[in-house]
Amino acid sequence: MIHGCGTMSLDFGKAALEEATKRGASYADIRIGEIFDEILTVKNGVTEEVTLLQTSGFGVRVIVNGAWGFAGSVDLTQKEVVETTKKAVSIALASSKLKKRDAVLVPVETRKDKYFTPLKKDPFRIPLEEKIETLMTAEQIIANYSDSIKSSSAFFRALREKKLFMSTEGTEIRQQITWCGGGLECIAVKNGEVQRRSYPASFRGNFGTNGYDFFESLALVDNAKVTAQEAVQLLAAKSCPSTETALILSGDQLALQIHESCGHPTELDRALGTEADYAGTSFLVPNQVGKLKYGSENVNIVADATIPGGLGTFGYDDEGTPAKKVHLIKEGLFVGYQTSRETAAELGLKESSGGMRADSPLTLPLIRMTNINLVQGDWKTDEIIEETKKGILMLVNRSWSIDDKRLNFQFGTEIAWEIKNGSKTSLLKNPTYTGITPAFWGACDAISKEDWKMWGTPNCGKGMPGQVMYVGHGCSTARFSNVKVGLIK
Amino acid sequence: MEINRLLGISEKTVKIALKEGADQAQSATFLLDDALTRFANSQIHQNVASKTGGIAVKVVIDKKIGTVRANTLEEKQIQDVVKKAVKIAKVIPSNKDFKSLPEPKKWAPIEGAFDSETALCTPDYRAEKVKEIIETAHSKSSIVKAVSGSFSTGSASFAIANSLGISAWAQISLAAINTTVISEVEGSEGFGSAEQYSRFVKDIDNIKAANEAAEKSVKSVKPMKISPGDYEVVLSSRAVAVLLSYLAYIGFSATMYQDGQSFVRYHLGEQVFDEKLSVKDDAMNPLTLYAVPIDGEGVPKMAKQLIDNGKVSEESICYDSFTAGKEENKSSTGHSIPPVVRFYPYPRPIPINLIANPGKASIEEMIAETKYGIFITRFHYTNPLKPTEAILTGLTRDGTFLIVDGEISKPIFNLRYTDSMLSALRDIPMISKELEQVDDTTAPAMKLKKLRFTGVAQH
Repeated sequence: MIHGCGTMSLDFGKAALEEATKRGASYADIRIGEIFDEILTVKNGVTEEVTLLQTSGFGVRVIVNGAWGFAGSVDLTQKEVVETTKKAVSIALASSKLKKRDAVLVPVETRKDKYFTPLKKDPFRIPLEEKIETLMTAEQIIANYSDSIKSSSAFFRALREKKLFMSTEGTEIRQQITWCGGGLECIAVKNGEVQRRSYPASFRGNFGTNGYDFFESLALVDNAKVTAQEAVQLLAAKSCPSTETALILSGDQLALQIHESCGHPTELDRALGTEADYAGTSFLVPNQVGKLKYGSENVNIVADATIPGGLGTFGYDDEGTPAKKVHLIKEGLFVGYQTSRETAAELGLKESSGGMRADSPLTLPLIRMTNINLVQGDWKTDEIIEETKKGILMLVNRSWSIDDKRLNFQFGTEIAWEIKNGSKTSLLKNPTYTGITPAFWGACDAISKEDWKMWGTPNCGKGMPGQVMYVGHGCSTARFSNVKVGLIK
Repeated sequence: MEINRLLGISEKTVKIALKEGADQAQSATFLLDDALTRFANSQIHQNVASKTGGIAVKVVIDKKIGTVRANTLEEKQIQDVVKKAVKIAKVIPSNKDFKSLPEPKKWAPIEGAFDSETALCTPDYRAEKVKEIIETAHSKSSIVKAVSGSFSTGSASFAIANSLGISAWAQISLAAINTTVISEVEGSEGFGSAEQYSRFVKDIDNIKAANEAAEKSVKSVKPMKISPGDYEVVLSSRAVAVLLSYLAYIGFSATMYQDGQSFVRYHLGEQVFDEKLSVKDDAMNPLTLYAVPIDGEGVPKMAKQLIDNGKVSEESICYDSFTAGKEENKSSTGHSIPPVVRFYPYPRPIPINLIANPGKASIEEMIAETKYGIFITRFHYTNPLKPTEAILTGLTRDGTFLIVDGEISKPIFNLRYTDSMLSALRDIPMISKELEQVDDTTAPAMKLKKLRFTGVAQH
């Protein structure tokens, strides 16, 4: 039994749906849920943060007079459920005064089902002391490596989301999604020069829908020394030159490149203009589906909510659409969007891609990335380097920025190596690169078949009020020709 | 009264924690009542409301700190929250950097921080105002294609108690409107936007916002491309607010300073910015939006001069009690994040009441004094590249125009800037006498002698 989503919750759910129907809703759904989020931070020799965040409540979504209304509350009682449903209906009525057309949803098969993230070791059952000891050991290896290490941190995070989804169409789905992961970060300082290195990825590490064994597989203790070593080495490294050259991106950086330049612009709500006031729109407009050359023929990108271990992996989205794998880019051609039931209908599609998720039971589902993956290529990773006469290999993100149509981007990474005649030579600090999305992906001439893996981003922001979602990206090392690098003067 | 209920729960929770064996304890209760009406393609597409209450309990046992945050205000569940926090504190290693929770200090509520009309604003009122925005924008020109934006209203309340005697609270109302208007001529789109913030919904001038956004949008169609490079720029208050807000984020938090990542650490006492630039953080100043007298630990918010006539110093740094405890002779300046901030996971002290000094000019005068430059309405997706040198990158958006011989000439493609603020804000020939509230920053418009652009967008 998923706690908080039991028989009592079913009764509350039915009460909401009945109330909505009674008040004229042509469609209604309710999500009742709980989230447990455990965050551990060891920094500079002390357990700086041991925090458990608990969120619970429900959200009711209704269509009345062809317009949407939504209301949420933390107070899961029969009375509050009914009152919140009334509020959602009154909001929908207010919305309906200013509608151009009725909200229409593509059909989804009615289901009664359950989904649990498969786990070997439940991260919430591992004693706190054990997790902290691992973090402390790794962090101390970094701290003791050199006097130049100014700050050393180790992170663990585990999140469990339990939710019940019910709709007036008869769907009833219980899910328990669990993810965890962690990482390392160190900052080295000498003579005013400051460099950061993170492992295995920046922003607190790597995460996946997986058990504690995933965290163990990150081997933070084994990788602490080299993380510190590279931070110190960067202090004396030469700066990334300003030039146009072949750029090789490792998976940890390529994941964010995919996120920003393919993930967000293929969200259909953006493309249809509903994020125009905040995050922006998209250069991938609907009349370009099947026509626009997004990248080279090597480039195949899918939205795949089914892949085991991906941070964006689940059983059903928050509209009850089952997890799917859909192509966004096929052999370089833009072929599809991430959609909701409503946006799919607006585009004349037969079904939703299953991309609707909310970051809490109290917030409205939006189209969110699932796992946006670059399909592996046919190169060996070593071959990509060996067959590069002149280039730069960049790893681990440090900064990111992209325009409101998702075309002009600029990224910085923590570390880079100069490639000369097929070999890694000098270490480079402060690497940056920039480009225009289709030109950049059009210049993708090699993708590795060897080091493909999933990268988890637990902090994707979108929407108003702002929501933060956990999403994944699968990719391997790839090469791009004639990229402008070295933007820092 | 809601706030009395929150304070009562906080104080009671501290007692429960002490009874459970805590040496010290802190309880922060909060209530958020938010509503937002969002529109796009000239119709409402999202209309939401949520009421969230919760508690964050921190217990200290032998310098071991456990924190549990839950969105409940029910007594039985709070007892469970306290037990979990105590359980955490009993099993983890002690934190040698922790000195103590803060001692109580004198504080007073801020009059005019809360407006019940704003807190209780109805969806019908918001829908009516949105309708006016859409109609106004479309009436401006037949080339206006789509109007989007959002109108939010609501309130936030929190109460802090700790075992050393802190018992304090804050309550504010907030209203905000933003609108982006898209025009189109022969396939060329033009964008314009406007935003307004206030604690009083009656002060939101939706028609003014609609007119401003529509006017910029209509003027922005058929932009021309200019080459990247160094340009003189006239920045609207909204653009200036983004730069100052990022400077505050990367420079003035004790966490960044102690980690060696803040540019302030390497430029103490130096004339790093133009001497006309002065920025303070002052929650008690009527010009700031987030008028909360205390921080997330119940410490009165101290006014800080972050940039004083272009200079930064150790006195510019903002502390909470934990970061203050890591240094000799420092105490909290009241910059712990309030518990009402939703994205809570990684707390660090931060200034949220930035106010820049006004100058003497008007935007029109700044434009008139520019021979060849760029007018920028707002920046998009700004991020720090190298915090120690205050290097930021981002793009212009929603109204970027070329200035030629003292006049706005033509709309131009959006540009990417990549520049150190230590360079860009070193020479500020003119600052506007008008200040504008832009979320957490109250800023004037500014003319900069030089901003470095490194790329061009496609629109």
